[in-house]
Amino acid sequence: MTPAPLVLDGLVVGAMLFALGLVGILARRNLIVMFLSAELMLQGVSVSLVSWSRHHGDWGGQMLVIFVLTVAACEAAVALVFVLQAFARTGRLDSAAWQSLRESNLPRVVDHELPASDAEALQFPRLTPAGVQPEIDEDEALEREHV
Amino acid sequence: MVDLDPKTLLVLVPALPLAGAILTVALGRLLGPRAHWPAVLSIAAAAVAAVTLLVGLGREVASSADHDHAASPVELTPVTLWQWASIPDAYQPAAATGLDLGDDLAAKAEGLPAAIPFTIGIDLRLDPLTAVMLAVITCVGLLVAIYSIGYMHDDPGYPRFFALVAAFVFSMAMLVAASNFLLVYVFWEAVGACSYLLIGFWFRKPSASAAAKKAFLVNRVGDFGLAVAVFLLWMTYGTLNFHDTLLADGSPLPGILGMERLADPSGYVAGGVGTAICLLLLLAACGKSAQLPLHVWLPDAMEGPTPASALIHAATMVTAGVYLVARCAPLYVACPAALTVVSIVGATTALVAALIGTVQNDLKRVLAYSTISQLGYMFASLGTGTLLGFTAAIFHLVTHAFFKALLFLGAGSVMHAMGGVIDMRRFGGLRRVMPITAATFLVGSLALAGIAPFAGFFSKDEILASLHARGWPDAHTEHHDADPHEGHAGLDLPAAAAFQAVSFRSESDGSAGGADESASTFRTLYWMSLFTAFLTAFYTFRAVFMTFTGPTRVPDEAGHHAHESPPVMTWPLIVLAVAATVSGWWLFSTHALADFLAATPSLTAPAVAATATPHAFHLDLALQGTFAAVAGIVLAAAGHFGRRSDGPQPERYLGPFETLFAHRFFIDEIYTALIVRPLEFVAMLSAWFDRSVVDGLVDFVARIPWGIGAVVRRLQSGLVQRYAVAGALGTLLIVLMLAWRLRG
Amino acid sequence: MSPDGGLSIVGTVLAVAVGCAAASLWLLLPRGESGLRERAARRFGMLLGAVALGLFVATGHRLGGVGEEATFLVVSLVAVIGAAATIVTRSPVYSAIWFALALAGVAGVLLVLGAQFLGVATIVVYAGAILVMFLFVLMLAQPTGMASYDRVSNEPLLSAVAGAVLLGLLTLFIGRLSAGPPSCCAVPTKAAALAGANRPTDESDEADAASEPAAADTPNTPALAGTPSAAAGSSPTTHRPSPPDMLARDHVARLGGELFGRHLLAVEAAGVLLLVALIGSIAIVSRTPPEERLEARPRRASA
Repeated sequence: MTPAPLVLDGLVVGAMLFALGLVGILARRNLIVMFLSAELMLQGVSVSLVSWSRHHGDWGGQMLVIFVLTVAACEAAVALVFVLQAFARTGRLDSAAWQSLRESNLPRVVDHELPASDAEALQFPRLTPAGVQPEIDEDEALEREHV
Repeated sequence: MVDLDPKTLLVLVPALPLAGAILTVALGRLLGPRAHWPAVLSIAAAAVAAVTLLVGLGREVASSADHDHAASPVELTPVTLWQWASIPDAYQPAAATGLDLGDDLAAKAEGLPAAIPFTIGIDLRLDPLTAVMLAVITCVGLLVAIYSIGYMHDDPGYPRFFALVAAFVFSMAMLVAASNFLLVYVFWEAVGACSYLLIGFWFRKPSASAAAKKAFLVNRVGDFGLAVAVFLLWMTYGTLNFHDTLLADGSPLPGILGMERLADPSGYVAGGVGTAICLLLLLAACGKSAQLPLHVWLPDAMEGPTPASALIHAATMVTAGVYLVARCAPLYVACPAALTVVSIVGATTALVAALIGTVQNDLKRVLAYSTISQLGYMFASLGTGTLLGFTAAIFHLVTHAFFKALLFLGAGSVMHAMGGVIDMRRFGGLRRVMPITAATFLVGSLALAGIAPFAGFFSKDEILASLHARGWPDAHTEHHDADPHEGHAGLDLPAAAAFQAVSFRSESDGSAGGADESASTFRTLYWMSLFTAFLTAFYTFRAVFMTFTGPTRVPDEAGHHAHESPPVMTWPLIVLAVAATVSGWWLFSTHALADFLAATPSLTAPAVAATATPHAFHLDLALQGTFAAVAGIVLAAAGHFGRRSDGPQPERYLGPFETLFAHRFFIDEIYTALIVRPLEFVAMLSAWFDRSVVDGLVDFVARIPWGIGAVVRRLQSGLVQRYAVAGALGTLLIVLMLAWRLRG
Repeated sequence: MSPDGGLSIVGTVLAVAVGCAAASLWLLLPRGESGLRERAARRFGMLLGAVALGLFVATGHRLGGVGEEATFLVVSLVAVIGAAATIVTRSPVYSAIWFALALAGVAGVLLVLGAQFLGVATIVVYAGAILVMFLFVLMLAQPTGMASYDRVSNEPLLSAVAGAVLLGLLTLFIGRLSAGPPSCCAVPTKAAALAGANRPTDESDEADAASEPAAADTPNTPALAGTPSAAAGSSPTTHRPSPPDMLARDHVARLGGELFGRHLLAVEAAGVLLLVALIGSIAIVSRTPPEERLEARPRRASA
């Protein structure tokens, strides 16, 4: 039984999302972006499953997608806890910070010196002060994490 | 006298020292200062057994000679201890295999059975030659062992020394009692090994271990000759046994020196193969008996303890070569060319060694060169090929054993008293310090120089007589024709005349030219030997005068040692001195030794026996010899006393020759340049090859996995994403391959 | 689609499209450049990406009417472009925003496919909850400005090639689906298998019965079966019309009935899983001693 063109196109879209997610996991070094890419892969799979469900006229695919959704939520929770732990150890969200699995006589892989970024530091708008300037503790201001 | 079966006694003679050696090795440490007892007792028991055998066999020879007026061969049936090897059908003679070995071998091979097994049994034989050798070995060995109790007293290797001496006596006894060429080879090597161990006894001294190595390696050259000779003997005669044996089917297999072959006029192969065998055996004898060109090891062997030098390098081991040639007399007699070579080698060695000995300043070196020289005399005598020559050589062997051992032990006594100093220039006038040693040493020197009535005179006289007989055959033929039977020590066969065809002195064999040539050679050899006798006396008495006469000088190393040696060392000296004095006269006058030896089966071969001459005392030759000896002594005395200083200094008279003699004719240097240096170079090349190429190859193979690993290891970077990329690509590759297969 | 000749043209076009997609991804991924080179690379990469998308669209399958086609095209483009932007943006915050856009596109695709509940659920759960969690973490942990590790990729070329080849393979096999499975891997429909046993009464049961074993027996090859050459009693060559119950007005009710009917156990298990994940996260976090947490301050400049 040949699937309908809609189904086929849906499969193609699912494949694209999956492939793009794979590229993102393999290539990007920021842990968060890696996990976003993993979620992209799951999206691709969901689209494929729904397409097949549409083709077969069966609820099974959609059921599976519901559970995929659930599991993705759990996975995101646990994974982000791990990312925070990793960040606590190394101070960076860099997957290349973890290299202890290498051979004992190989040196650490270090980035070569990058050219200066021409992305200026973001200038956040400064509001004109209205009223009394609240007292801001210098230390606390420094301690505060920025995005 | 112990009344035992001769076969048992024969087995006991080597077995007891072997047991003594094993016991000394096992219990040496336990026994401590008494470690000499097992060895000394066992050698003493063996000596008793050997003398018993000698006496018993002598009686038998005497009784058989009385009956027949001739010496019939006397030998004991060989005792087989056990069968060492037995390979059936090991050898098909050339006639069966169709090999072209030349006429001699082909002719010989026709007489051999079709298929011969290779059997080697541990066979011991007893005949007059063996009995004499056994007696000499064990008696001298006993005296040396007793002497060593005092000499090696404080040495830390005390038990090892006695074990080695006992082991040596065992090996030498087996060598002379073996009835089989392969056994001879085995024990030839064994005595070489004992010699190596004894020369290098103080192995921590580099010169001693180097000397031991040199001795062993030079002996190897000789052993090579013996090995090839054994191969040729096997090929020619189909057996290695001396005695006759039976094959499995009952047919006889004549031994090389068995009665059957000895009685056969054409029993021995002449020509190329025969001469080759004889010359190879001569090479072996040269190695062991330190003849030119393999004599270089004996002077260096003086690094060993003096009792070892006395036993091995004077009395017994070096005489193994003489024994071998005497034993193989029938083979040599069949090849006259080989006999001439033997004589030439012997006489030349005697002369060269005597020349070198005149300029030596080390007492032991003088004695070493003297040994080489005297052994040269024995070979010169053996090379005459006459019964007189063979028996004279053995006679000289016996007397030489006594007086040379005496001289060496005396030198040891001197060395012991002088605290290890043996350079004659550093001491003098020791007759006041050690009178007994001086007296016995003088006796030995007189015997060595050949002054009547000491032993050396008679034996040297016989040697000179045998050379003279070959050089001037006419002078001796008259004797033979005049007294055909009286006091005849030859085999009285009716067909004795028939064998004159193969004897040397007959002019009827048509090779008169050959006889004349050899005669002129022997004339030269005779004059050489006479000159050597002069030199012998000279250097011997030079040593005596330098050591024992003149003002008494003792070197500092002597310390409190400078006194006469203890009785355990002087009694053997006295015994040997008595033997050196008496034995020559007694043995010669009774002709006991000559008659006894003539009964040896090897020497009863018709070819040998036909050369027998009646016992005559050649006064003219005796006078020539004595004159030469006295001239030597007088010259030595003149040189010594005339100068009133360190002793005769032949350097002044010799001029340029002095360098030649002092450097031992540069033979060592020639060997180093010709043999040692090229071998060192080859060894260096081989070592380089082994290190660079072979090891390099192995290392290269070992580095391949390392290299591969070094490349592959870089994949393990620790970056998980790189692993993931690899995994993804791999999976896609598999999927692609599957898709390719499944398309269409 | 068309017979093999046409398929090879499609194959060639797809190959070109895959090549363009790989090149464009490689150019777009951050490679530690800056300035003119970076901008030029990005622009060229975007161009190539557009070309690749165009080719993919060209080889796409014609839907029924223009309206449906346009709708599907728009939502799928939104999804794909949003996904691509997610993975190539340098700043992770922007990455998250693009992800949200991609989610919107995916929701649109799901809706077009008739999964009403799921389309909405995607927005609610993913964009509403999961994405917000990611943004929280970014707030806690991301340094200001662009970190060095955001400007570099791990093996950009190999990753792009891997992704593109995967996409090409999948598209190829999806295209093959219309041609039918290869001779080795034909799987009969459930209807054919139960031909003797069961006599399905209405089309929906038949559809149910037919698709289940097909889904269950799918062999591990890309040429997925499910396109049996013979179906019991229905026209085999034309595509089947969508089963009416999925597109019915009470879609969600039916979905709920199916979920809590046939898959009740799985629902309970999912609930337990959620609980476990919750407890687990708290357990992991609480085990860290306070002083170790965030001990290394996020850098102000590039880390």
